[in-house]
Amino acid sequence: MKILVVNCGSSTIKYQLIELETENALAKGKVERIGMEGAVLTHKPFDRDEIKIGAEIIDHSAGIEYVISILLSKNHGVIKRKEEIDAVGHRVVHGGETFSGSVLINDEVLKQIRACIEYAPLHNPHNLRGINACIKLLPDIQQVAVFDTAFHQKMPKVAYIYGIPYSLYKKYSVRRYGFHGTSHYYVANKAAELLKRDINELKIITCHLGNGCSITAVKKGESVDTSMGFTPLEGLIMGTRSGDIDPAVLLYIMSREELTMQQGNTLLNKHSGLLGISGISSDMRDLEEERENGNKMAVLAIDIFCYRIKKYIGAYFASLGGADSIVFTGGIGENSSLIRKLSLSNLECLGINIDDEKNESNSKEATIISKNNSKVTIFVIPTNEELVIAKETMKFINN
Amino acid sequence: MELGRGKYDRLVFQKVGVIGAGTMGQGIAQTISQKGISVKILERSTKNLKIGLNELSLALDKEIERWGITESEKKAILSRIDGTVDLKEIKNVDMVVEAITENLSAKRELFKEIDKICPPETIFITNTSTLNISEIAEVTKRADKIIGMHFLTPVPKIPVVELIRGLKTSDETYLKVKKFAETLEKTAVEVYEYPGYVTTRVIIPLLNEAMHVLMEGVATAEGIDTAIKLGFNFNMGPLALADMMGLDVVMECMEALFKELGDLKYKPCPILRKLVREGHLGRKSGKGFFEYPKLQ
Repeated sequence: MKILVVNCGSSTIKYQLIELETENALAKGKVERIGMEGAVLTHKPFDRDEIKIGAEIIDHSAGIEYVISILLSKNHGVIKRKEEIDAVGHRVVHGGETFSGSVLINDEVLKQIRACIEYAPLHNPHNLRGINACIKLLPDIQQVAVFDTAFHQKMPKVAYIYGIPYSLYKKYSVRRYGFHGTSHYYVANKAAELLKRDINELKIITCHLGNGCSITAVKKGESVDTSMGFTPLEGLIMGTRSGDIDPAVLLYIMSREELTMQQGNTLLNKHSGLLGISGISSDMRDLEEERENGNKMAVLAIDIFCYRIKKYIGAYFASLGGADSIVFTGGIGENSSLIRKLSLSNLECLGINIDDEKNESNSKEATIISKNNSKVTIFVIPTNEELVIAKETMKFINN
Repeated sequence: MELGRGKYDRLVFQKVGVIGAGTMGQGIAQTISQKGISVKILERSTKNLKIGLNELSLALDKEIERWGITESEKKAILSRIDGTVDLKEIKNVDMVVEAITENLSAKRELFKEIDKICPPETIFITNTSTLNISEIAEVTKRADKIIGMHFLTPVPKIPVVELIRGLKTSDETYLKVKKFAETLEKTAVEVYEYPGYVTTRVIIPLLNEAMHVLMEGVATAEGIDTAIKLGFNFNMGPLALADMMGLDVVMECMEALFKELGDLKYKPCPILRKLVREGHLGRKSGKGFFEYPKLQ
């Protein structure tokens, strides 16, 4: 069974053709600079070299057309006929309160995804473009939407209602939604599998640390709390996002510096976080290098980043009533032994004992990095959102 | 007018020509480029072009200081803006936006030229606050593809444009350009060809009146601006606004309104004439009703 997984951004399309039996990607790639000059398609079949093709790609529909033709092409393709694609799985960022699981796409679903544009104006419109293009080009193939927010929809009300007038929740659905759901879901389940235990018996804290960072408390396989909120700005410190902040700080700065809403928004989303604190870079690799060189601002930015993670781990220990496992994933979570070490330092009181040697091994596979006697098993697990989307998609096809 | 709704939803603008790299041209080029569209910007001389692009770069630096954009966004915006002094280079653009001086004969001259250079299907937009679109269009062979779009300064920040149809502007042109305005995240207000349209017609006499109040010694410049700003919740006072628009521009607008509508209430205030004569043009020259630190 072959599933095409599609993830559309404003000017990009990322795709993978996944063979479910082996869980391998037959091909993966991306289209960049859609609608601009110098659009380019990068394509990598699993058994051949990566190729880059420049083309005029005026919109997402043209981009999807290119993707399908390269998957079918004689030299670079991996399938012979369109019909070999059994279904298409789409990543959709925001499903609002409407979608607590994946869904087979029909006209009604499209309408509801459109209604969620209000919550994710930067993402949902592009996701929709990808879906519409696939419907047009692959009309006989079923399409499934998998939402970033869906995994968190079972959070209890105490975790998702903010301390503001309840009428605003009723009026505008302002509440915690949470993001990276597909990733948290994948690594939590993978951890249970590696522990050889039923996920329903487990309490797991999953840390997705990448460009965006979020942390989730998982109980019985469900998200019970997560650090991102109404938008992906809340919670942990990120590359350029502030994470948690006293809301009055924004109002104060906006008034002192006479900022517009747009400037206030960009301040917290693009000028803050690691970049804003250090003044050096939003990239953790640069900061680690500068830290080695003794740069004090790099040390400070990294310390604040890790301290915030530690605080959340403590909080989720409390909300879960303990934890069996902590999982690190995402670009930073998978690759930075320093961040893992600093975030978990001095937590022996909670039964968290990291093994420095295992932590440094930097394997590309899922690994345990806690000491044998650690009460909490600590994992590094490479995330695989595409595989989750493919598997979710398959559920609908079999039915 | 809403014709064929949906038909232009998928219009894509890949490259737009902007003629004139003054304050308006810079703002228009920045706004278009910020949406990922390539811009070809044209000036008469290499010197003017250099000044224009330099000012644009400084304006972007200022926006970084105000947290509005990031360094990499500035780079991306500038990388999509390509300057030239050769009018022929605009022949390959999807649409032309003209933003030269507010002068009918200069605009007519230019449109006659570009009419010969661009393919017949290219739409020409003239950025004018007072002039008659039909009079500009009549010198070309594509009067149906000519439309006015009045941007307000600062272009990247003001979320509205006036769309002005000439007598022969086609519905298709109107809808395409409306879609273009939406792409730029500007709300388009349709106005009919009439001197000053809405925004200029209403605001310019207000500025002129504030100048009379100043001249007659009713209050100081600071006093007038504070009263109006706080009293009516304006972002800035009328004199500061006049300085920002450029006093020469304000005077041109007054004169155009006076000439077209003939009413004495549109006569430029003597204090305005005096400042313009002395070269005090407001923010861009460092002095107008208030003083401004010089841009490097």
